[in-house]
Amino acid sequence: MTGGAVYIAGMGIISSLGLGLDETLDALITGKRALTPASPFPILLPQHLPVGAVSAVSLENAAETPPRTHLLARLAADQALASCEEPPDAIVLGSTTGGILTTESLFERKIVDPQRYGMHALGSIAEDLARRCGCTGPVVTVSTACSSGAVAIKLALAMLRCGLARRVLAGGADSLCRLTYFGFNALQLIDPDGARPLDRDRRGMSVAEGAAMLLLSLAPSDAGGLQVIGAGLSCDAYHATTPHPEGAGAMAAMQAALDDAGVAVSDIDYINLHGTGTIDNDLSEARAVKTLFASGLPPASSIKGATGHPLAAAGAIEAVVAALSIEHGLIPANVGLGTIDPALNMAPVTSPLKRPVSTVLSNSFGFGGNNAALIVSKTARRPETSPSASDRPGLTIVGRACLTGAGLTDETRRAFFVGHACRGVLAGGALAQGLAPRLIRRLKRLPQMALSLAVHACDGVDTERMPVMVSFGTAWGALSETHGFLERLIETGQQYPSPTDFIGSVHNAPAGQIAMLLGAKGANVTTSGGDYSFEQALLAADLLTRKTADPIVVAAADEHHPVFSPLFDASVRLADQPADGGGGFLLQRRQAKGATCISLAHYGSGEPADGVQALIQALGGAAAMDRRFGAVMVGLPVARRKQAQRQLDSFLELSRFRGAVIDYRRLTGEFGGASAVATVLAAEMVSQGSVPGPLVAGTDQALNGKGVLVMGLGDFITATRVFVS
Amino acid sequence: MEQLISELKTKIVDILNLPDVKPEDIQEDAQLVGGELGIDSIDVLEMVIMIEKDYGVAINNKELGAKVFATLRTLANYIQEKASELTN
Repeated sequence: MTGGAVYIAGMGIISSLGLGLDETLDALITGKRALTPASPFPILLPQHLPVGAVSAVSLENAAETPPRTHLLARLAADQALASCEEPPDAIVLGSTTGGILTTESLFERKIVDPQRYGMHALGSIAEDLARRCGCTGPVVTVSTACSSGAVAIKLALAMLRCGLARRVLAGGADSLCRLTYFGFNALQLIDPDGARPLDRDRRGMSVAEGAAMLLLSLAPSDAGGLQVIGAGLSCDAYHATTPHPEGAGAMAAMQAALDDAGVAVSDIDYINLHGTGTIDNDLSEARAVKTLFASGLPPASSIKGATGHPLAAAGAIEAVVAALSIEHGLIPANVGLGTIDPALNMAPVTSPLKRPVSTVLSNSFGFGGNNAALIVSKTARRPETSPSASDRPGLTIVGRACLTGAGLTDETRRAFFVGHACRGVLAGGALAQGLAPRLIRRLKRLPQMALSLAVHACDGVDTERMPVMVSFGTAWGALSETHGFLERLIETGQQYPSPTDFIGSVHNAPAGQIAMLLGAKGANVTTSGGDYSFEQALLAADLLTRKTADPIVVAAADEHHPVFSPLFDASVRLADQPADGGGGFLLQRRQAKGATCISLAHYGSGEPADGVQALIQALGGAAAMDRRFGAVMVGLPVARRKQAQRQLDSFLELSRFRGAVIDYRRLTGEFGGASAVATVLAAEMVSQGSVPGPLVAGTDQALNGKGVLVMGLGDFITATRVFVS
Repeated sequence: MEQLISELKTKIVDILNLPDVKPEDIQEDAQLVGGELGIDSIDVLEMVIMIEKDYGVAINNKELGAKVFATLRTLANYIQEKASELTN
């Protein structure tokens, strides 16, 4: 099942245009502009900026749970799954805000009951959907700013094509919140008159909210046979917020999507532009589109003058709009346009156009230069062949680094291998070792950790093996920046929020910094899934490298923040002492006998009774366990200790595994990225060919060519194999 | 005016966390943004907030910002001009 067609089996949408496909279609036909001053949080300043608010969900009660983003996501998911009888095999969701609207309201009122912050995490939205629909497979959350929804669809497409799933629910969701409203305004990227994409006098975007979901399936559906035929990702590696002036990254993403789909520019009937309405985005996107479509530009428009910019939901909402465009032969208007900007040298569609459409290109670009392009079509995809799983080379470890309270890789290994705790919070100076002061002058803790891991993982690597792609995982994102932004916003009565903290607060900022520093212009993905964020980053990396030998940085880290970490993370609250850190690898897919490889063997829910059996099966069955693995590094998050211990007992009983079992969190401490540290240490053991004696209360145990398994237990069950090929 | 310029130099170095830059390194008539000091567009946004907060002067669009932030002197002039309009 490789390279097959991926069908849209169901769709759901909620935005400022309305709830459901019919309301959305009506709004597109009439060219509705849905920007109003309505807001789900109080605005204390005299000027209320126009936003794209969803009216179908009450704007009151923003301090309640489930948070607004979760409600929006549920409404879209329920529609997409309405006609299906069994749950999807996996969920991939894009979000940038998670439960932040609720968090802001509680934080503003100085409420410190951690239970009320229980759905703050980005990953909690997709996990909520999984619980509701009974999905027990991988539940992945992508956060690449304004391209999140489109990147989620790209990963879902890859999962389906390589046979990891038959049906995947993919999409994006974001609610309006103080962070994005005041943050984008502090960057002077908001048009006080409402977004006017491509207009000569445009001043910026209008922030908005919404959600959209696609149920993607390998089985053809009854309804029209619409397919997602291609998707492409790229990174500008240029600037934290400003797009590349010539649109180089945008063009690379569009070209990658065309190549992926196997279609030519002449096959595109309509381009749904990212078109946010900011001066720089529209200019660089127009240049990219004009260059790529030099032979003739099809009709093009941005709908963000109608919807506003629903951030992580945008890519998914516009994928649904692309599908509606094909189904109904409708090209939506570039609403809000007064006078076309002559500098753009292109004329968007000014009023809704009825004409047959069979293939649509949809662009989504985000902060950090994270670009994505999707192609939706009713034209059948070309059949193709891919190497089967057995002859695909593994991901070899080119470089690795980790960071804990003990210090960098060497210090951490020294402590851990003699059985000493390496938990703690490393001082800033030691953390930033090897990073130029000018490089990190605006960066707080998490981006410094990310840069440190990337730089050290790439230490001494040949130019041709330097990373092209980045996949970064974080449970909580940049907490120092998020806290700094909200604290100053509240203290100054909303008047003087920090632009720097806003830029740094987005989950994908650290990965963007890595890309800029190392010049990595390929796909750039940030994942967020609690204690399993590293495994999500590894899963994304596996999917993105299926057809390429481009080196990729795969890392995960979490920072300890004295206020937010204990408020958000139950394991941090129960820990003896604060701890943070992370781990990172430089990986490359290639055939190399004797090289140390890494492979994510399993990612599934921890809930079902047969969860541990599924894990053992994925690892080759009980008979293979002692033959393949000399040790298991097991992650038992303290907040889930009972559940995780039960899972471990069941694993040991069913697998009859006799080797060493190392409970690594007792030494690394409790934080989201701890499994990345464990995986780096597992690679160290495999490289030296033995498990250190102090870890197994005895003498060094030779691995004799066997690998080490890094297992995550608790809410999810994950298994990462580190082995010699 | 000289006092305002001197005050701005200290504030800029302070809020922008520029390593190895001392207040006296900022030349009044030298290019302020994109020059040797390493001040970029994100720093401009931080300065905009500081100027609005400390002097009550808003610089709320990019075209105006490009003119005002040309040099430290143009910035000081603009602040003085607008601040006096506000108090009158």
